[in-house]
Parts: sequence; C-alpha cells; structure tokens
Amino acid sequence: MSAVFESAVPALAREERIEFTATGGEYFRIWIVNLLLTIVTLGVYSAWAKVRRNQYFYASTRLAGSTFEYHGKPLAILRGRVVGVILLGAYQAALRYHPPTAGIVLLLIAGVMPWLVWKSLQFALHNSSYRGVRFGFRGSWKGAYLYYLGLPLLAGLTLGLLYPLVHQRIKRFQHAESRYGTTHFAFDAPVGQFYKVYGILVGLLVLGGGVAFGVVAGLAGGVAALNGGTADIAVRAGQVLIVFAGVLGWYAFTLCVVWAFMAILQNLIWNHTQLGPHRFRSTMTWPRLAGLYITNTLAIVCTLGLFIPFAQVRALKYRLESTTLVVAGSLDDVVAAKGGDVNAVGESVADLAGFDLAL
Amino acid sequence: MQGDAQREVPGRYYDGITSRAHRVVLRVENGEACLAGEAERRVPLAQVRVSERTAHAPRKLTFADEACFEPDQRAALEALLHATGHRDSAVVRMQQSWRAVVIALGTLLLVLAVGYLYVLPAGAKLAARLLPVSVERQLGQGLLGVLDRRVFDASKLPAARRAALAQAFARMAPPRDGAPPYQLVFRHSRIGPNAFALPSGDIVLTDQLVELLRDDHAILATLAHELGHLHERHLTRRLIQGSVVAAAGTVLFGDASALVAGLPALALDLRYSREAEQEADDYAAAMLRRNGIGLVHLERLFTALQELEDELGAPPPYLSSHPPSAERLARLRQQLD
Repeated sequence: MSAVFESAVPALAREERIEFTATGGEYFRIWIVNLLLTIVTLGVYSAWAKVRRNQYFYASTRLAGSTFEYHGKPLAILRGRVVGVILLGAYQAALRYHPPTAGIVLLLIAGVMPWLVWKSLQFALHNSSYRGVRFGFRGSWKGAYLYYLGLPLLAGLTLGLLYPLVHQRIKRFQHAESRYGTTHFAFDAPVGQFYKVYGILVGLLVLGGGVAFGVVAGLAGGVAALNGGTADIAVRAGQVLIVFAGVLGWYAFTLCVVWAFMAILQNLIWNHTQLGPHRFRSTMTWPRLAGLYITNTLAIVCTLGLFIPFAQVRALKYRLESTTLVVAGSLDDVVAAKGGDVNAVGESVADLAGFDLAL
Repeated sequence: MQGDAQREVPGRYYDGITSRAHRVVLRVENGEACLAGEAERRVPLAQVRVSERTAHAPRKLTFADEACFEPDQRAALEALLHATGHRDSAVVRMQQSWRAVVIALGTLLLVLAVGYLYVLPAGAKLAARLLPVSVERQLGQGLLGVLDRRVFDASKLPAARRAALAQAFARMAPPRDGAPPYQLVFRHSRIGPNAFALPSGDIVLTDQLVELLRDDHAILATLAHELGHLHERHLTRRLIQGSVVAAAGTVLFGDASALVAGLPALALDLRYSREAEQEADDYAAAMLRRNGIGLVHLERLFTALQELEDELGAPPPYLSSHPPSAERLARLRQQLD
C-alpha cells in the first residue's frame, strides 16, 4: 500500500508535486478533430470541444496518485458563449452603425461583466472534482462587483497607483472564497509584496527604456558626427538601422521583464495560498518561462499554427509541475459539501443551472 | 465471455462524501459493476459513466452520485471494458487514430479553402443584396466629416468644371439597372491623387486626380469604377467577409496570440479587396461600353496610375489592396481584343 493511503498515521508534512501527463501529440489529435467539427458546425461544437479538452487536461493532472475530473456540460458552455457572442456582436454592430450607441453598449457590458465573471468562477470550480469531491466558490456577487468593477475604476482614477492593491484583492477574492469540499482555501499574500513586484516591473521598464533611448540616441548622433554632420543616404540608413536594432532590443528586454514578472507573481500568489492545513509551493523561474514562450511562439509561426496544441501542453505542463502541495497530515479528511452544508451550497448550485463564460 | 467477466481490476474508490481512498477490486457480474474491499457496492453498468479513452490519462468510472473508481493500472480496466463490450464514441475513436486525424486535417483545410474562396464571397454577396440601401448608408455616416478635418480641403476646381463633370457622369447609363443614388464630392487632397466611394453614397474625387488624368472620359471611367463599388455593395460585403475571417482566425489561432491571429486575417482580407477592385474595373468597362465611350479612356486611368506607382514604388501584389496597375491594364487589353 502506498504512502498515499496511510491515512491513519499522522505523518510529517510531505510534498506532493502536481504531475501533468498530457502529451502534445495526443492533444494535437483531440484538437484537430474538434477544430474540424467546430468549423463545420459554424462554432456550435466549440462547447463540446471545450468539454473534451478540459476532461483530457483534468484527467491528465495528477496529485498524490489521484487525478482531477471535469464535469462541465456542453449546453451550459454553449449558453455562455451565445451570451458572449451577442454582447460582442452588439458592441461591434453599434460601433459600425451608430458609434454613440456603442458607448452605451460598452457601459452595459461593463455593468454585467462582474456578474458574468462571478457566474463563470462558480461554474469552473463547481465543475471540477478531485477524489470524488467537488470544488466550489462561495464569493458573493457583491464581492464580484466590488473587485471586478469598483476597485478597477478606483485604480483608473488614481492612474494605476492602486492597481497592485486591486490585483491582490482580486486574487484574494478568487482564492479565499474557493473551497474543496467543505475545506476552504486561504490567501495571505500581503499587499506590500504586490507593490514590490509591480515596483520592480515598472522600475526595470523605465530604466531599460532610458538606457535603450540613451544608447540609440548616442549611437545615431555619433554616426552623424563621424561623417561631419552630413545627412547623406548612407548616414540616414545607418541611423535607421541603429534605431531598428534599438527597438528590437527594447522589445526583447520588455518581454523578458514581463516573463520574469509573471513567474514572480505566480510564485507569490501560490506560495501564499493554503488549502485547510496544506500549503502550496510554486517554483517557477523566469528563464524557463521565457525559453518556453520564445520556443512556443517561434514553433507556432514556423508550423503555421500546427504547433499550437503542443505549445499549450508545454506551457500548462510547466505551470502545473512547478506547483507542489505541502501536505500537512492527510488528504483523506476532506468532506464533500453535501450533508450539513446543503443550504448555503445547495442554493448556489440550483442557481448555477449552468453557465460558463470564457471569452 | 464468462472468463472475461471474472477479470478483477484493483483500484481506489472515492465515495463522493469524503476524499478518502478506499482500496477496492472492481468486477463485472450480471451486468453490474461490483466493488469489493474497503467499500462494497453494486451498480448496473448502464448507470456508470466511463471517461473517454486517452493514451496518457487514466480512465475512471463515475457513478450517478459522483462517487468514482480509479484503477491502479489502466491496462486492467481497458481489458475489462473490452470484455463488457464498451465502445467509445466515433469522435473519441477519431481522436485516437493518426490516420483519422490526417484525414480530419485534410478535410479541415479543404473546408477552409472552399469556404474562403467560394462560400463566403457568395454568402456575403447575398447578404449584402438583402440588406436595404438605407441601412448600408448609415455605415459610413460621418466618415467624410472626419476625412475633411484630416486630409481634405475644399476643392480648388472652378465650379463650372465640377458641374460639367457631374452632369456628364449623370447622363451616363449604368451597365445594369438599379444603381444606387450617389453624390459626387470634389475635394482638394493633402495626400495626392485619389478617388473612392464611401458606403454613405459619396463618391470622392480629388482635384489632383482630375489634373493627373487631363482626360474627361478617363475621369468618367474613374467615377464608373467607384459607382461599381457602390452598386456591387463591396463595402458591406467586405465587412461581412472580414468579420467571418476574423472570427475563424480567432477559433483557429486564438489560443496563440492576437498578432498570430490577426496577420493571416489581414492578408486574407486583402485578397477579397483585390477581387472587389477587379469587379469594379469590369463594371467601369461595361458602363463605358454601354455609353459608347472607348475603353482606351479606362486604359488612360490605369496608365496614369502605373506611372504613379513606378514613381513611388508600389508594394508587392499580395500585400496590396489593389491589383497592380500593369495587371489591370493587361486584363483590360484582353477585353479590348
């Protein structure tokens, strides 16, 4: 009997790494067949395709010997997609036929978006299970309006100064209001840490921008000075080349900074997330993330898109496999939110009749 | 079958109430799935959901109350499923076969090519024809105002000259009936010789083009080309085609990035644009012929554009919204013969 099942013996904290067993080749086959059916049915099948894809990815995600399961129903997803298409279509049509109406439609979309996000958070978690026990989301719709509309507006008014705070609050809302069975997740990343990460991001971008501008301006000026201040074709071409190289270098630098930012943020968020007594640990590194994105993008372009499923599996594999669950005691004690918790949960589940929005 | 039904699959059972794993052995007896070990359960096979077959993810059985069974090893469960006559859906079998996938890929490319080359243009043409002109007219309302602020000044041509051109064009009969109403708009351009039609029905002609052509019949040919755009509902058709191409691009490449999804859509849209130009050229040629004006005047327009292109350097044809003038000239010469 493997260690996983020795629930009776309270063990020391042990680490369970998430394993992702999906392969690009297999997902490619699922992807192509689903793509064909989606195109032939003018998009209607995309809901079924999403269920197939999620079922495959969930079943390929293994933690402590057990895999996850996806329970989403295609019709619920289709309903969500129809709503999304109607909203976007209304906006596009208004934009083309009568721009002032487009503003009203945009306000309308902004008004219902938090509610839709709330619904799809519920949907995504409620339709995921592990060891026969479902996840759930208990956050209220009022919370969704506060964190997805109210605070972002406030951040906009302060020219983004509040944005790290908003990001922390959104993550706290998502994580702390999630549950696995009756066990709740907790989130304790301090706002200060978010400000620090964002500060480093902005600092690096400003510094890098200044250096790039200085080097390019210096070199371009130097080229002109070497030629005695004349502006003939050769000098102009040289300057254009320098500016071009500068822009390219700046672009590469920005991408690296953004990847580093994403890795640090992902680590920050998961290292401060807890499920009951169990902690998560995330060990993403930005060089690996950068290497992953560079090779994925190049391969997608070179294969005219055929690499997309392989790229997705690679990215997901790295993300999932950098996450570890530090198990305190046993994973066997989680109780499904069925028995005593019926009222609170039952209500939202009935309300949930099914709706998914993934734009 | 009797022997097969005796197969035993060891695994873990989760009762759907707690996350505890129960060691059990799965057997199939009399059309029922039977679990024995740390948990006992018998359920008719029809009430058991089997997850889809994949090569790398384990298969599991889920019961109606969300309790589930995960086998320790997939091979044993696979054999049991085979013995009970379980069959995967056609889609799942396709997903597992490389041959079916290659066929699916070929079919996908064929569907996309046929859709892009034939179905979409025909559908957009039909849809544009069904759309009332009044709706189309609202499409570009205000566009001329924006252009007037940014790139145009009032025309510097004498009023008499403008009236004469407008009258001459008004006297010409369109190649087929049902030409939509239009207004001729003369403007002095800050961006060189140009002529274009707006969905609002405005045909804009710049002073620079009038001066460049120096031939009234060539100017009329230009106007006929622009009227062709209006009559064929090109702008509406391109809007429809462009939206569909963009939507398909999002489905195909959406997971990659906006840039990867956007560039092919742009290139595909340009081809539709060049087709529209050819259609408008044909319309202009037919209109000249009907009104007894020689096609040489249309040729004069293309020659002038060709000279302009040679002077400025034109983009390669597949990156251009208009066919190269040399190609348009060659097409026209074929018609002349």
